[in-house]
Amino acid sequence: MASTSRLPGTGRKILFEILSYLDANAAGPRFGRLSIQGRRDIETPNFFAVTSRGVVPHLTPDVISTYTQIGGVHVALEDFVERAMNGTPPIMNCPGPSPLHTFTALPKSLPSLLAPRRTPAVSAPNGNSNTAISIFTSTGFQLLTNKSYISYIEMLRPDIAIALADVPYGALPGTKRVAKMGGRTQEWLSQLLSEKREAQVVFAPVLPIDFLDQSEYLNNIADDLADEVSGLAFYDSNLLPDIPATTAISKLPRLSLDEPSSPRQILRQISLGMDIFTVPFIGFATDAGIALTFRFPRPPPTGVVISNGAGALQLGVDMWPAVHSTSITPLDTSCTCYTCTSHHRAYVQHLLSAKEMLGWVLLQVHNHYILSEFFAAIRESIKNGTFDADCKEFETTYESELPEKSGQGPRVRGYHFKSEGPGEPKKNKAAWGNLGSDDQEVDGGLVPDEPASELEEKGFAEKMED
Amino acid sequence: MPSALTFELIARCSTTKARAAILTLPHGPVQLPLFMPVATQASLKGLTPQQLEETGCRLCLNNTYHLGLKPGQEVLQKVGGAHKLQGWKHNILTDSGGFQMVSLLKLANITEEGVRFLSPHDGTPMLLTPEHSIALQNTIGSDIIMQLDDVLVTTSPDTKRMREAMERSVRWLDRCIAAHANPTTQNLFCIIQGGLDLKMRTECCKEMVARDTPGIAIGGLSGGEAKADYCRVVNTCTSLLPEMKPRYVMGIGYPEDLVVSVALGADMFDCVWPTRTARFGNAITKYGVLNLRHARYANDFGPVEEGCGCVCCRIGEGGLGVTRAFIHHVAAKETVGAHLLTMHNVWYQLALMRSVRQAILEDRYPVFLKQFFSDQHGGDKSNYPDWAVQALNTVGVDLMEE
Repeated sequence: MASTSRLPGTGRKILFEILSYLDANAAGPRFGRLSIQGRRDIETPNFFAVTSRGVVPHLTPDVISTYTQIGGVHVALEDFVERAMNGTPPIMNCPGPSPLHTFTALPKSLPSLLAPRRTPAVSAPNGNSNTAISIFTSTGFQLLTNKSYISYIEMLRPDIAIALADVPYGALPGTKRVAKMGGRTQEWLSQLLSEKREAQVVFAPVLPIDFLDQSEYLNNIADDLADEVSGLAFYDSNLLPDIPATTAISKLPRLSLDEPSSPRQILRQISLGMDIFTVPFIGFATDAGIALTFRFPRPPPTGVVISNGAGALQLGVDMWPAVHSTSITPLDTSCTCYTCTSHHRAYVQHLLSAKEMLGWVLLQVHNHYILSEFFAAIRESIKNGTFDADCKEFETTYESELPEKSGQGPRVRGYHFKSEGPGEPKKNKAAWGNLGSDDQEVDGGLVPDEPASELEEKGFAEKMED
Repeated sequence: MPSALTFELIARCSTTKARAAILTLPHGPVQLPLFMPVATQASLKGLTPQQLEETGCRLCLNNTYHLGLKPGQEVLQKVGGAHKLQGWKHNILTDSGGFQMVSLLKLANITEEGVRFLSPHDGTPMLLTPEHSIALQNTIGSDIIMQLDDVLVTTSPDTKRMREAMERSVRWLDRCIAAHANPTTQNLFCIIQGGLDLKMRTECCKEMVARDTPGIAIGGLSGGEAKADYCRVVNTCTSLLPEMKPRYVMGIGYPEDLVVSVALGADMFDCVWPTRTARFGNAITKYGVLNLRHARYANDFGPVEEGCGCVCCRIGEGGLGVTRAFIHHVAAKETVGAHLLTMHNVWYQLALMRSVRQAILEDRYPVFLKQFFSDQHGGDKSNYPDWAVQALNTVGVDLMEE
């Protein structure tokens, strides 16, 4: 339901309304609506799906529109600019009024959020400078100057752009570095704000350092820029209570880039007043072969109860074990996602064990759906004023962390990780070996790896009498 | 023998041996000539069954060998067959597993009883018989099942072994027919063998046609033989086969091979090439195969194929408007790139066969062939492959004439 007519005529394409909260003057959970011109409205709290090279991993854009309810997508500039070293990155030549959408074939209803770096980002060996940050492209590390970042935003026209931030990934910054971070980020933000098109929506980054170390920068936003920025992007959600509680600042939407590792951490951030999330653990669960099964605040009455014996329910089910191989029940019996209404555990288990790509597609559809439902239930709870009690119930009902992974994930690519140095084991197992040579193992399910008696039992062939 | 299909011949080309038909199988009708994409392990390389359906596919392949290993007969039985396993409402064809046994297993050798091999796990000698293969395919529940045959590379110079393989395939067909538990719900196809020896092929055709299976496959081809030899074998066999049965040439999928084979009287084809090549970033188009990983496509904002009706290329309602530049951006980096090209390539193959069929219905297949080869080779007749020109000459089409 794109409702663009009631956007104020300031040239800004975004409107954030807080529809319900516990206490207007104190930090707390809030229910709101983010409207972006030409896109579907998003009710908050909600999440943006994390992309890799412009795609939600495993999901083609038609699958996204048909089978998911994601609020929007988080896109990293570093996924597009590997050719910047010796030319213009192709996406910059993409025609049309919204090149980022056109280039990635992203469904038109979905808002796009452009950040300089992936989430989670790989730490760079070189630090940032006064004018540029280090980014990691598919062909290696590069510098991204604020000047070029501004021109990328200008060309790509994302619905929301997060301003460049001096964020140290990896090691904790020393005192000298911390002293610079706020100043640099403030400088970069004001450059962006002064050079951008009027209509471009910008979120200001909040750095993952103590409030006092960036108070000048944050006070500057609160005092002078609150009308020019359209939201805050938190690299550390713990900063939320420290943000100056001026009216102008409080009404800005708040985005978390804090990479929550569990639903509990999401709930905690919501209780502090966070609105929009990026949730990398959805992708981790999918790649690990785990089907998420948690609900808020408790499993539905028809749900299958998976207990680890200690009273707390698991947040997900590992689909690798052979116990699922003949189970024709859905991943989650009360789930209404495409995967659960059209397929069963036996198929997903088969696909994982056969390393067929569709296994991860089906899990990714399901896991995104579970998160959408989770956020929908949270919004209901905030509206009903039962959020605190519901959080407590959730915490006693479910375990705190996702289950351990037992199986292999899909192949990882070079831009997904940084090598730790020489002598590192291979990230991907060889899918094929030479046929006929004894010293090489042939894997991938192409030759039977079970004993002869099992093969016989399976009806594949019979043992011969010698 | 009983059959679970009906074959309705709709049109015949008045020049070539091409035919158009409707083959009605237990899970619905399919239009012949037909290309069948290969969903080896009960999934078509990352596509959901709905996405496969959207390409127009109503009959796809599963491999018995792979399903026999994973998930195995017991699981298939409990789940209720391959249709239920993969959530596919339409037809499935399974091969017999014999080809993979011989090509993938160490020390597999073929005796009269079946395929002997050493279990790669513990070295125990094992045996896969025609009866095993049929029992597995009965459990899989595919709409078309294939006999276990004695496969030999057609280029083998050993005529004695070739004759043995051909004759054994006939004897194994008898065992398959006897072992087939569901002749009224699953259609058993025989497989003509005999290498490149036309006399042996002729003999095999006679023997197998006499067994009256619901459909007939021509096997042992697509194994590196000269294309001219391939065409001679297909042409010889189709002349000997009953008109009112579907004819399936196994392992064929290049667009040029398809259109020529149809002209030689074949109806059904399968090949992993369109889906495999998609994963390497190759798009099949009317004007040839494009390797979209090449740098020249990095800034090409046109569709994968101009005018293509697939979800990936189409613009507007339900279409994605994916550009070559985007495929270049994700190919071999994100599996989504492979999924998109797989959708396109499967669509291309099926659309090609639909246009072939339309041309046959309108009795303009020779004209279609001329246009097809002209498009493929940029109008340059000197680039036309000799084998295709010669093969089409034998059925009355001269590609070289103006």
